[in-house]
Amino acid sequence: MDDHLIGVLSNIGIVSFVALSAYLLLLTGEISFGQQAFFAIGAYAAGIATALWGWPLALALAAGAVSGAAAAVLVGIPTLRLHGLYFSIATLAFAEMVRILFELFRYQVEIDGEPVGPDGAAGFRNIRYIFDHNIDAVQFLLLIYALLAVVLLGFVWLERSRTGVAFRMIGEDETLAGLQGVAVARHKVLAAGLAGALAGVGGGLYAHLTTYVEPRIFDVMLGVHSLAYGLIGGLGTALGPLLGVLIDIGLLESIRALAGYRMIIFGGIVAVLLIVRPRGLLDERAVHGIGVLWRRMRRQT
Amino acid sequence: MVDLVQNTIDGLMIGSSYGLLALGFTLIFGVMRRLNLSYGPSIMIGGYLGTVLYLQFGAGPLVVAAAVVIGAAVAGLYVERLCFAPMKAGAAIASMVSSFAIWMQLEQAAILVLPRHTYAFPALATGAPLEFGPFTVRPDHLVMLGSALGLAAAVQLVLYRTRFGLGLRAIIGNPVAAHLVGIDVRTALPLAFAGASAVGGVAGFLVLAVDQQVTPMFGMWATLKGLIAMMIGGLGSVPGAVLGGLLLGVIEAQSQWYFGPQIRDLMAYFVLFAVLALRPRGLVGSLPEAATQKA
Repeated sequence: MDDHLIGVLSNIGIVSFVALSAYLLLLTGEISFGQQAFFAIGAYAAGIATALWGWPLALALAAGAVSGAAAAVLVGIPTLRLHGLYFSIATLAFAEMVRILFELFRYQVEIDGEPVGPDGAAGFRNIRYIFDHNIDAVQFLLLIYALLAVVLLGFVWLERSRTGVAFRMIGEDETLAGLQGVAVARHKVLAAGLAGALAGVGGGLYAHLTTYVEPRIFDVMLGVHSLAYGLIGGLGTALGPLLGVLIDIGLLESIRALAGYRMIIFGGIVAVLLIVRPRGLLDERAVHGIGVLWRRMRRQT
Repeated sequence: MVDLVQNTIDGLMIGSSYGLLALGFTLIFGVMRRLNLSYGPSIMIGGYLGTVLYLQFGAGPLVVAAAVVIGAAVAGLYVERLCFAPMKAGAAIASMVSSFAIWMQLEQAAILVLPRHTYAFPALATGAPLEFGPFTVRPDHLVMLGSALGLAAAVQLVLYRTRFGLGLRAIIGNPVAAHLVGIDVRTALPLAFAGASAVGGVAGFLVLAVDQQVTPMFGMWATLKGLIAMMIGGLGSVPGAVLGGLLLGVIEAQSQWYFGPQIRDLMAYFVLFAVLALRPRGLVGSLPEAATQKA
């Protein structure tokens, strides 16, 4: 595989984590503009763990997940009673606060005569774990997709579990779900925490792939994009957000010839697509239809 | 003490344009019940139209102002036709994401027309700052404050003293009921949308004229400032939007002066988060459960 393709595939895989994070909250009916914050927190936490404290990668990624989840639960509780636009803007405000705090965050340790660590707005350089341990790009790509596969299996399990049903019930009608005995508050905080962990793992992977993060990357654009992926790809299955990422990054990268015009074309396509399919390509009905077709085909053979 | 008062004066001046941005935003949200992320980028398109006229034909401030307002209204109408009018009922989040996609489109269009990062924008009311004892006021700031408050008052008059305004308020209250009593919702919605974008256009012109430059980032800036001021003030109210804007202006001016630009932005978002967590309806918000609909 050539380097460019590996780079694009790695990007698709990592962005999928944030897209799935936004998707998980969409299941419970909430629109978050702020999942990039947990991506950022995961990136910094995992980067600090390997570059400054010399932790192994697996532990660092776990640290990214835990800190993403912890921060998400911390925001999840005061925003519990917010809905719709109010929730979206509260998450946006939180995420921007996190980004600005990282611009002010300095924590450097001298390693081999060089200062290493987050340096405010200048970013966090030299997260060199994959070079120091001779992990090549293909191996790292496999790691990304292995983790993504685990996450997708988790989603398959979730959609079949009582918890997943509770999430979708809350998404349909929170009051009704509460009346039917769903512990609404607990499930919403759980969803927020899981979504934060997902974004945190993605951030940890991102920091180690690029070896360099700066606060600017984690702006609201990333958040709104990851939200849009679920809507484009479809809200019926966890494969929806992945399809969204694939269409955006995959398509944008593949039609380079259109360089200056690609957002004009892509923006138009998305707008028209959402008129025809307001819940994305793989919406609930499409997923149900595919399921029925699949079972019918299996019965015939 | 002098600094504190001077910052408050500056903050109120700048804040008046934030209030105007919030006003256009809250009008659109009120009639649509959907968030138009392309609100700022529509204004940015108006700004680019004004800059082109200024750079190519040497147009004066009044012509440029008219171009910004008309450009914003036309771009707003385009967004309405593409992202809001054809959407199915209940597809609020699809409208929002669609307006985000069109944001990307408008930004790229602006960059195609004028590829450099910044372009000059004509200044407004240049001249020495006016002195009031130890305090100074920039003349263009005064024009900004005057136009912003005047326009906000005019919008309030249209909403509460005209038949069209009555119709709009009926739609804001309940679109289905408004339709049933014979209000022409189909015409009123695009009109209100374009009008609100034009209000944003006025704010955009005032800010750009004070800054004397325009960049493609102006779209994002306008969307964010309008959104913050609107949410602090509370959805669905003209005085709320103005108050939210003025408050945001003062908070920014004070924290910028004492702590620098990073803390300024941090403070703005912190106040926004605190208002939402403690008093979700905003300071003077009046929209009933409307805004709390689900994805």
